Amino acid sequence: MTRSHSKAGGVEFRNVSRRYGNVTAVDNVSFRVEPGTLVTLLGPSGCGKTTTLRMIAGLESASSGTILIGENDVTLLPATDRDVTMVFQSYALFPHMSVIDNVAFGLDVSGVGRAEREAKAREGLAMVGLAGYEARLPSELSGGQQQRVAVARALVLEPEVLLFDEPLSNLDAKLRRRMRDDIRELQQKLRLTSVYVTHDQEEALAVSDQIIVMNKAVIAQQGAPADLYLRPASRFVADFMGASNLVDATVVGRDGGRASVRLGEATVELADASAGVDDVSIAIRPQAIAVTRLADAPALPVSVRKATYLGSHMEYLLDSSVGELFVVDPHMVATVRAGESAFARFDPTGMAVVPRAG
Amino acid sequence: MTRSQHRHALASAVAGLALIAGASAASADDLTLYCSVQEEWCQAMANAFTKETGITVAMTRKSSGETYAQIKAEAANPKGDVWWGGTGDPHLQAAEEGLTAEYKPANFAELHPWAQKQATQSGHRTVGIYAGALGFAINTEILAKKKVKEPSCWADLIKPEFKGEIQIANPNSSGTAYTAMATLVQLLGENPAFDYLKQLHVNVSQYTKSGAAPAVAAGRGETAVGIVFLHDGVTQAINGFPVKVVAPCEGTGYEIGSMSIIKGAPNAKSAQRFYDFALSPAAQATGAANKSYQVPSNTKSVLPEQAPRMDKVKLIDYDFKKYGSSAERKKLLSRWDAEVGAQK
Amino acid sequence: MNRSHLSWLVIGVLGFALPPWYGLPTSSSAPWPPSGLLASFGVAPWLLPIGLFLLLPAPFVIVRSRLAGLALIAAGIGGLGYLVAQGLAIGLRGWSQPLLADLFGPLATGQRGMGAGGLIVAVSLLFYLTLGLAARGAMKGDRFTTGAIGLVVAAIVVFVFWPVSTILSQAMVADPGQSAIVALAERLTARDIWSVGCVVSATRCGVFWNSILLAVLTGVLTTLLGLAFALIASRTGFRFKTGLRLLTVLPIITPPFVIGLAVILLFGRNGTVTQFMAEYFGLTATRYIYGLPGILLTQVLAFTPIAFLVLVGVVQGIAPAMEEAAQTLGAGRWQTFRRVTWPLMRPGLANAFLVGFIESLADFGNPLVMGGGYEVLSTKIFYAVVGAQNDPGRAAALGIVLLALCVGAFILQRTWVGKTSYTTVGGKGFSGTSAALPRVVKYAAYGTALPWALFTFLLYGLILFGGFVENWGRNNSITLRHYITAFGLDWGQNGLLWTGRAWNSLFTTIQIAAVSAPITAALGLLTAYLLVRQRFAGQSTFEFMTMLSFAIPGTVIGVSYILAFNTPPVELTGTAAILVICFVFRNMPVAIRAGVASMSQIDKSLDECALTLGATSAQSVRRVILPLLRPAVVASLVYAFVRAITSVSAVIFLVTARYDMATSYIVGRVEIGDFGLAIAYSSALIVLMGIGILFIQLVVGERRIGRRDPVQPAARPAEVTA
Ligand SMILES: Nc1ncnc2c1ncn2[C@@H]1O[C@H](COP(=O)(O)OP(=O)(O)O)[C@@H](O)[C@H]1O
Ligand SMILES: [Mg+2]
Repeated sequence: MTRSHSKAGGVEFRNVSRRYGNVTAVDNVSFRVEPGTLVTLLGPSGCGKTTTLRMIAGLESASSGTILIGENDVTLLPATDRDVTMVFQSYALFPHMSVIDNVAFGLDVSGVGRAEREAKAREGLAMVGLAGYEARLPSELSGGQQQRVAVARALVLEPEVLLFDEPLSNLDAKLRRRMRDDIRELQQKLRLTSVYVTHDQEEALAVSDQIIVMNKAVIAQQGAPADLYLRPASRFVADFMGASNLVDATVVGRDGGRASVRLGEATVELADASAGVDDVSIAIRPQAIAVTRLADAPALPVSVRKATYLGSHMEYLLDSSVGELFVVDPHMVATVRAGESAFARFDPTGMAVVPRAG
Repeated sequence: MTRSQHRHALASAVAGLALIAGASAASADDLTLYCSVQEEWCQAMANAFTKETGITVAMTRKSSGETYAQIKAEAANPKGDVWWGGTGDPHLQAAEEGLTAEYKPANFAELHPWAQKQATQSGHRTVGIYAGALGFAINTEILAKKKVKEPSCWADLIKPEFKGEIQIANPNSSGTAYTAMATLVQLLGENPAFDYLKQLHVNVSQYTKSGAAPAVAAGRGETAVGIVFLHDGVTQAINGFPVKVVAPCEGTGYEIGSMSIIKGAPNAKSAQRFYDFALSPAAQATGAANKSYQVPSNTKSVLPEQAPRMDKVKLIDYDFKKYGSSAERKKLLSRWDAEVGAQK
Repeated sequence: MNRSHLSWLVIGVLGFALPPWYGLPTSSSAPWPPSGLLASFGVAPWLLPIGLFLLLPAPFVIVRSRLAGLALIAAGIGGLGYLVAQGLAIGLRGWSQPLLADLFGPLATGQRGMGAGGLIVAVSLLFYLTLGLAARGAMKGDRFTTGAIGLVVAAIVVFVFWPVSTILSQAMVADPGQSAIVALAERLTARDIWSVGCVVSATRCGVFWNSILLAVLTGVLTTLLGLAFALIASRTGFRFKTGLRLLTVLPIITPPFVIGLAVILLFGRNGTVTQFMAEYFGLTATRYIYGLPGILLTQVLAFTPIAFLVLVGVVQGIAPAMEEAAQTLGAGRWQTFRRVTWPLMRPGLANAFLVGFIESLADFGNPLVMGGGYEVLSTKIFYAVVGAQNDPGRAAALGIVLLALCVGAFILQRTWVGKTSYTTVGGKGFSGTSAALPRVVKYAAYGTALPWALFTFLLYGLILFGGFVENWGRNNSITLRHYITAFGLDWGQNGLLWTGRAWNSLFTTIQIAAVSAPITAALGLLTAYLLVRQRFAGQSTFEFMTMLSFAIPGTVIGVSYILAFNTPPVELTGTAAILVICFVFRNMPVAIRAGVASMSQIDKSLDECALTLGATSAQSVRRVILPLLRPAVVASLVYAFVRAITSVSAVIFLVTARYDMATSYIVGRVEIGDFGLAIAYSSALIVLMGIGILFIQLVVGERRIGRRDPVQPAARPAEVTA
């Protein structure tokens, strides 16, 4: 099983929609998942992530559009006949079967002999660190262990595509971090094509090769984690990717690929994504602002409403002519106190121009 | 297709075949008998016929109402051959509706006139096999305890001392009770008869569903008097209950237990043989041997000792034709419903 | 495209070519009927198009064309439509409608009912259609699901909808000179149905009011008692649980009339209790038990166990974690019960009430024996058919009223349960301890259930005793006479002779019950699966149709079966098959309710997960859902088995000499007051059904999901069973 996963196939959605009565859960969505990569569907609750995932699994049929797995059209193919497995949010362990029977279930129903399937199941359990738990019932495991059983059960079938629906949402923060690393490691080791659903951007950034951000049944943006992080295409994406400052600004000059943007009293040079519109918004990461008592040329005068000392860094809440700004500042030398007036200096690498609407 | 789906498919096919295999049927020299008297007698009769002729009998016992409903439902593709026993009205009705076939038995001449009349007025689609008079089954213990004189006339039953002590079946559900109502109408005239029934209603504790139930109730002491066919009362007495049967002094009606061949019977030949056999004295002797004490219709049959003597009973000239017709029946029943049955 | 297409293609074609198309003839000397193929070129040329429909998809399936799905759908619809049309149009004696003869000219021959060939072809065509639909992506392309829906719908249309509509249409049969609508309206508005005379004047009330009053009382009382028993059985440390369970099961396995007889012998005017009261307390012996009190008493005795069976699965199915959660949130025992346990039991309670309500409406035996002057719809219908009135139109009208009542109950239940999610068997594995009951609830449960159990026990002691006495109430000397009459054995020259009079009906009864029970449970649970786990257009209608046969009294079903299945194309009267089918469709609704109640407690992701792991729907049902549904499986099997043995009103019309049933024999005994034999036979049946139930429990077993023992909350490890 440690060999690289040869049959990993890609997934492709071509203009897929899913409607429930007059609710459209997924609206004309197209994307590709390259073989052997992990793609995350990220978005707020109710945006259509689970529905998209279930359409890959075949648990939900598409109202329109085409779904391909490994270049084959599977739109009409039932879940049983798709070489796709899934780790459910609720784990969906069969409560009446022992751990080993749970893991061996998929092999069993596809006709693998007893000896072989038990060996594979043991191997799978060992891979997730659960050797020795074979005879237990799911009810006798902790949440994290149950989660691992669910992963092992999905893995041992060596599926073309492996799906995860918020697999970590029932775990505590520490365990969540460890499990996500384990999952990523396994996925890379086995070169599995995986689609991963979460609403946690940090988790998404940590595990993904590609991230698809969804909003209200459509894809808001798609790209590598760093792309999305650094170059959000819309206010929504910027906000969702953790850029908590969104302020209005005006383009005052353009030069090649760059734009001069007026931000209150300050002016910043940024990559031009304004599409010729002058009234734009700017997404500013909290880390891209430094608070100083010294007035530099492009700096913005602010008054400090709140300053919190957090050991490794400071957190500030600032009032300015462009609105409220949230700042994470690692400079611990000359910290500013609440109530003082100061200046905000901007680091263009942590800023992105996005259309003001949307 | 996976293995399990194969199995699923095969299983349904096999189940289907099994269902059909279950539907195989009887062989050539057979008789299907619908029997509407007591089960012992039905059984004995079927055995006697098989012994006599070698024809295998498949016998089903159901009440006459149930049998009539079944024959009617099966009319397009009859399954039964002979309907033997049960009160005459549904037989006449079946004849009227052409559900039964015409046949004149060989020993017709030996029958009592009442049995012959049953045949002639139906165009020989049915014939009488026994008769039973209507009367009272009385629980002597209760009456002795209450120190009430045993009733001997219809008129006694509406006396106040019988309040709550009388049971009769509901004429809507029971042929026995309908016969009683028709008897009273013939005895007293329609309007006085309904006056009587209204007065009787005050004394009736319950209108039972089945005709013989009041006799059972009288036996068990649930009622002091049941209005029933006398032979049903006799059965209770024979079974050890303190029951005495009384024929009313004013005169009473009676039923003619009948027999018909079902039209389109699959085994019509056997059915005719059974018809002849059932009217013979030997066949009719099976009744008394099985605790059924009706009066047999063949004049040569021996009258069972326990049977209520018909010559001691004052019988009215019951008009089966008129009171068996659907129109008259509907009229009387709806009047009973409105004037008697609806009362508290 | 795939092997299932090919398989059904082959089965269909072979079914047309080889086995006899028609049913076997009544007399064994007649020749074996021809296959569909032979008949097409001989006696029945009109069958030929069916063969063509069967072959239509062959080229597409063989070359695996993308059009195979469409071809299958076309062949399925066309073939089935033509099959039904020719079956209805050509009867035993040629054209069944004179109009057709005028149109097409006379036919030389007719045709009998379909046989093995016809059935196989019909089923194949049905699966053509469902496979075709699946191939076109219906139900997410799941062949099992489309096939199951097709099968259940077809079965219900043929065996419920058709017979029932045949008989209900009788309500419109008019007297000469009357229009059908007037006839229907007149029958539906009859005074003896609707009168409120007992309230406003000195006349009787209509049967409608009588029935509804009785049904509501029975529904409520059985649900409460059933709940008390269920709570005791699963939530307390009560020590005689097994005994308790046995006792609650007894009334279910009691043939009709027997409880009524025992009640009469105790509480009748001349009954033991009544006479005792009269003697020692100077009360006048009256007939107080006849009427509403008596029917209610016997119905509650008879139906409480069914409520128990529905509820015990639900009570056990409530995940302890939820109750534990409530307790950790600071809720006391009472609050936990009131705010968590009780609401979670609501679907179970609603189902139990519905079952009790409808059982009461459809019950026939108890009102017959105990009714006195209290008339209800079911008895009135029976006597409208078989009584001196012989008026099927009236029976049909009353049947419509009864049906409307049941539909009302059904809708009410739906609104009450609502759309709340009651999933408590999740995929996260169980653990934890069921909450102990609050004291009030516990004592209330004990206080109602135990006296009731004692009473039941007493009654059954008496019944058992009644079979061994000469003549109960009059001559109490001990005798084996009744048993010998019923079950006598003799050594004749040719070995063992079954001389007892009951043997014949007993063997038939057991066989029919044993065949129909598993079919009933399977079909019922399959339907429950479709209702709970699948979403498809027309689902509510589908659900309603599955409940239809339950809502209709046995008498009406019995007569409707004769009307519908006595003539071609489906000719079943006089066979064992008609009894089996009648039982299956009459008892299926209970299996469905039990399945629905249990299945809505099992997290859907469990079977979805099985699907993604490559299991077919059939496998996920068998491997995942069924094992978790064991309580419902047991309930359905037991109910179906027992009902097949004890039901009487429907079978009275369907039994024949070859296939006589125990109950119809017993009814005959009761009618003439031969209580001894009736009771002896019934006792034997009770013992037999008890054995049957134990056998079912043994074979199906209990659901093991490793929950901690509710009685000892101390950290005792859960039993581990693979
Ligand atoms: N079976 C269903 N019936 C109706 N609406 C549904 C169904 N499943 C999902 N939806 C709706 O579709 C939308 C997307 O749901 P989902 O894919 O579960 O979102 P999420 O991104 O949180 O996983 C939601 O508005 C949800 O209410
Ligand atoms: Mg989701």
